[in-house]
Amino acid sequence: MTDITVRINGAARTGSPEARTTLADFLRDDLELTGTHVGCEHGVCGACTVILDGRAVRSCLMLAVQAAGREVTTIEGLAPDGELSALQQAMWDSHSFQCGYCTPGFVMQATAFLGDHPDASEQEIREALSGNICRCTGYQSIIDGVLLAAQRNRTLRNRELS
Amino acid sequence: MPAIAAERYTGASIKRSEDPRILTGAGRYVDDIKLPGMLHAAFVRSPMAHARVLSVDASAARALPGVVAVLTGADLEAMTVPGPDALMALMGWKGPTPQFTLLATDTVRLVGDPVAVVVAESRYLAEDGCELVEVEYDDLPPVMDAAFALDPGSPPLFANLGDNIARTHSRHEFGDVWRTFANADRVIDFHIDVHRHQNVPMEGRGCVASYDAGSGVMTMHAATQSVHVTRIAVAMRLGMEQDKVRVLAGDIGGSFGLKIGASREELAVAAASRQVARPVKWVEDRGENLTASGQAREESFDVRAAVSNDGALLGLDVKMVVDTGAYPGMGAMVPDIMEAMLPGPYKLAAMGFESTGAITNKASYVAYRGPWASETFVRERVLNLIAKELGLDPVEIRLHNVAPRTDPPAVMITGRPLAGVTSKESLERVAQLVDFPAFRRRQAEARAHGRYLGIGVATFIEAAPGPRSPEGPSGPMGMESMRLRLTEDGIVVLFTGQMPHGQSHQTTLAQIAADEFGVPFEQVRVVVGDSDVVPFGLTGGSRSATMTGGVALHGARQLKAKVLDFAAHLMEASAQDLLITDGNVWVRGDPASAIAVSEVARRAASEEFSADADARLEVEATFDGGEGGWSGGTHCAIVDVDAETGIVKVERYVAAEDCGALINPAVVEGQIRGGIAQGIGAVLLERSAYGEDGSFQSATFMDYLMPTACDVPRIEIEHLETVPLDADVNFRGVGEGGMIVAPPTVVNAIEDALSPFGVRIYEQHLPPARILELIAAASGQLPAASRRAGEEQALPGVGEMVAELLR
Amino acid sequence: MKLPPFEYEAPTTVAEAVDLLAEHGDEASVLAGGQSLIPLLALRLARPAVLIDINGIAELSGMSVIDGQVAIGAMTREYVAEESGTVADTVPLLAAALPLIGHEAIRSRGTIGGSLAHADPAAELPAVARALDAEFVVRGLSGERVIPAAEWFEGYLTTSRRPDELLAEVRFPAAEEDTGVSFHEVARRHGDFAIVGLATSLVLSGGVISDARLALTGVSDVPVRAAAAEELLAGERPSAELFDEAARRATEDLDPPADLHGSSEYRKTVAAAVVRRGLRAAADNARERR
Repeated sequence: MTDITVRINGAARTGSPEARTTLADFLRDDLELTGTHVGCEHGVCGACTVILDGRAVRSCLMLAVQAAGREVTTIEGLAPDGELSALQQAMWDSHSFQCGYCTPGFVMQATAFLGDHPDASEQEIREALSGNICRCTGYQSIIDGVLLAAQRNRTLRNRELS
Repeated sequence: MPAIAAERYTGASIKRSEDPRILTGAGRYVDDIKLPGMLHAAFVRSPMAHARVLSVDASAARALPGVVAVLTGADLEAMTVPGPDALMALMGWKGPTPQFTLLATDTVRLVGDPVAVVVAESRYLAEDGCELVEVEYDDLPPVMDAAFALDPGSPPLFANLGDNIARTHSRHEFGDVWRTFANADRVIDFHIDVHRHQNVPMEGRGCVASYDAGSGVMTMHAATQSVHVTRIAVAMRLGMEQDKVRVLAGDIGGSFGLKIGASREELAVAAASRQVARPVKWVEDRGENLTASGQAREESFDVRAAVSNDGALLGLDVKMVVDTGAYPGMGAMVPDIMEAMLPGPYKLAAMGFESTGAITNKASYVAYRGPWASETFVRERVLNLIAKELGLDPVEIRLHNVAPRTDPPAVMITGRPLAGVTSKESLERVAQLVDFPAFRRRQAEARAHGRYLGIGVATFIEAAPGPRSPEGPSGPMGMESMRLRLTEDGIVVLFTGQMPHGQSHQTTLAQIAADEFGVPFEQVRVVVGDSDVVPFGLTGGSRSATMTGGVALHGARQLKAKVLDFAAHLMEASAQDLLITDGNVWVRGDPASAIAVSEVARRAASEEFSADADARLEVEATFDGGEGGWSGGTHCAIVDVDAETGIVKVERYVAAEDCGALINPAVVEGQIRGGIAQGIGAVLLERSAYGEDGSFQSATFMDYLMPTACDVPRIEIEHLETVPLDADVNFRGVGEGGMIVAPPTVVNAIEDALSPFGVRIYEQHLPPARILELIAAASGQLPAASRRAGEEQALPGVGEMVAELLR
Repeated sequence: MKLPPFEYEAPTTVAEAVDLLAEHGDEASVLAGGQSLIPLLALRLARPAVLIDINGIAELSGMSVIDGQVAIGAMTREYVAEESGTVADTVPLLAAALPLIGHEAIRSRGTIGGSLAHADPAAELPAVARALDAEFVVRGLSGERVIPAAEWFEGYLTTSRRPDELLAEVRFPAAEEDTGVSFHEVARRHGDFAIVGLATSLVLSGGVISDARLALTGVSDVPVRAAAAEELLAGERPSAELFDEAARRATEDLDPPADLHGSSEYRKTVAAAVVRRGLRAAADNARERR
């Protein structure tokens, strides 16, 4: 057991995980942030994606102790004060999801991707999200949500510029 | 001032009420549940396909700090009541019934067969404990294919059966089969195989079983398609009274047929909870889900088609063998549905259908989205093969054979009337949406440059719910119940046995009720997932649009009538003169009279009225499907096949579909696209792979490949919206259609792409290596029968290594 | 599955790490990016008694260009190398291969050194290292050794790193003028391991090929230099016929492994297509880069 402190969604959180506890399990069990989901535990499905120091990572492929002193954003941290992010709102408007199990991983991965590539094409978005598996939607509605968010962000930026 | 006309929600893509919690990580799935004192279970599983269990020594495991209990198969036998699989019992199975223990006791029958359950303070510790349980196995010869299973020389997997026959051979004939075949211009023979693949919801199976010794109540937090079926299954197995079991379900991460009733593992966990008198959680990991949760679709067909030279499909005679795996699932029942559906929307003069089921050392054959789907695969493949044989166009041969919509409707040779079926219209619509001549020109040009494009179509119908039966509704699935109540807050609450796991019922049912009753969408609440509270129901079989949409519509109407009767007392008006719009009751022509429905409900609850006013603002409604009807359509795919590498890209996908009236177009389209994605996955990527030696080779996502955003194209969907059959309820189900018709659509396209090589395809799984084999075989370089290359000389993949370690 | 128990060490210097490796030998595994090792741990396929986490060793990060070589610290994250202008300009073959490694989230954590020390025979970086004759700098009890790529990859998931040694740095030669590169692979899906992949680097000057390097991945238990094809290409002008012959020579002696995704024959057939296409792409790249 190691005592660690991690900044999660802007707040310092402490715990004493075993070294073998994954970051995903630490978030879900120790910190009771159950928004991050576990879909395969071998790094393929992307359901466990969180943002660590600004980069999307698979929390099932990190040990909790490796996150000590780092900044982590989980799905619970995207809408402080209940106001949905532009991406969350666009995904709601686009009927992006069905059962919701893959959703946190997609939202976090897409958030990170759009942050770095605000003007990505549909093909680029598909490639960027091809490491997240959804069984319900056939992906189109998810892509539409991301495209809508990007378009709205652009409109906002253009307005700010003019 | 109330709005004069009510807003119309039905038919609009109303945003989902589920999404605020889904998008913010506030959904409650079974693995999110944490109860005080909760323990965690993990299973000791067999690494072999078939073996005697000589001994199970759990002493080292029990001694591990953090391990609270280890229950072996024998321990669980003493704590539970033997019984059949819940789904089979529900569907009234009467065939061979294998006897087996809840967890394996003397025999293991598949890789991953659970032998013992370890209950510990954490899942990590439970798995550590599993590794300390010593099991001695004595290898037995595995039965890994149906042919061997049906051979009387194969070792019987279940002692009480004496053989490996899951379903006794049966044959039925419709029309004059002999004469139709004797008089046909041609009789063509095919052998078609469909491969084993599986549901793979993103959330696996799981539950938290919480037995309270004080009250004797077992609360199961479950991931299930029906809280009541799970309740019945748990009560039966644990020998408990049914009202002592309460099943709760929150959000569920997909199922596609997998999570019905209670699996052996969930029952073991319930028994364990009772034994240790503490809540016990078990959530399967991906390896367990791929290995042991269940699989589907492994069927083979010998098909004879009687045809006329002008392309009329006169008759079909089909012999089917289904590989049902070891423990009973629904595999043995699937041939009955296939037989009924095989003619599809076509005019056949005769049909013969025979089937057998084989028991093998594999995971159980479970229900997987459109369990009978292979009937469409076989029929739509056969039509294309016949078209090729006769030099006809695939769309033309279908138009030639499809039954046009007539009144009275044409009747399938197997008995059901094709009322309202628009297959012909969907074929014509696809031909409009896709410029076939332009494609053929592009295809020819591409071929000149060594690129192989292909186009495929397939047509299907789905009994969602199917036409009204003259004998009336039958069985618990023939009726749908709902309780509706108006609360003092003015909320119309719908209590339904539906258990959504992606279907968006909390939105769609609210749309219907809001429209029918007259309240804003936000004033309807749909309650699901508590067996103490909701009526019997099950989400499956693409039934909910009609059955539950219908009971919501009629129930809301009944509730409204009751409310208006009471309001008439309150407002001293005649009920016929009252309207409810936008959540207010008012007298027609007098908007100032409006009072909120909440006020009406409050007054009713205050009991200030005499006995002649019915103040109980609640109804119990039932619905038998009304006129029912079919869903269906025609799909078309364009593919690009790289003939040097075998990689296939689906370039374009078009669906002309008819599910009658749409409740929520975005929801309908999402269901269709999801099913199509699974169909694309089945053809290009997914296979539940077993070795001849009994090993299981696809236990991780590195080996069982799922379609991603780069594998599924934009899918264009056109809605035909049939002529209504029923005065009120014309919504039909779409949950399964995409998965039923996409595989033949894609395979037809691939065969078309490879026609310059003379390729004919008689199977559903076409990974790149297989594409190259088919090309080589057709060009005479290789025998066609080198199926599943790589299996015989396989190096252990990750999956196999995992399977060996799944102990 | 959940990870099995292990002792956890988090050294902050290479010397510490080496001492730990020397102490525990085969009982220890090194945790770098974790994108290959943690799945193996989670599946309980790897059971080290001791896990040595080197993510805290600062001296293992960083890139520098010295004497015509780009020295990349073993703990350099794949995404850092992917975004690096230095890598794009001086080791274009590496830049071409990096985006094909898994998905962005994998590259957020995965490291150059970790991938090369893991040595998956269907991964991209081993083929790049082999094609470019990269050098592997290891530090152990007996000091530093520099191992050429040809001697680094010994077998399936096996390198010539001794149990007490830590891979500290990988050195790639800076590309010459007129170099064209490509990394071409056939995979089941975008981001998957290659069924067969080819790392190609060649110099195309005055329309004539020289210094052709071809390394195949997915065709053996180690990356394979297609020496016979390289010889053929030297001094020739690009043409379809030349590339066809190169493909034949590169693949005729291959005996690739078989698995769920393809038979040995299938891989051999695909390898030929990959070689043809990879060479064409590298020749095009040479013209574009000018």
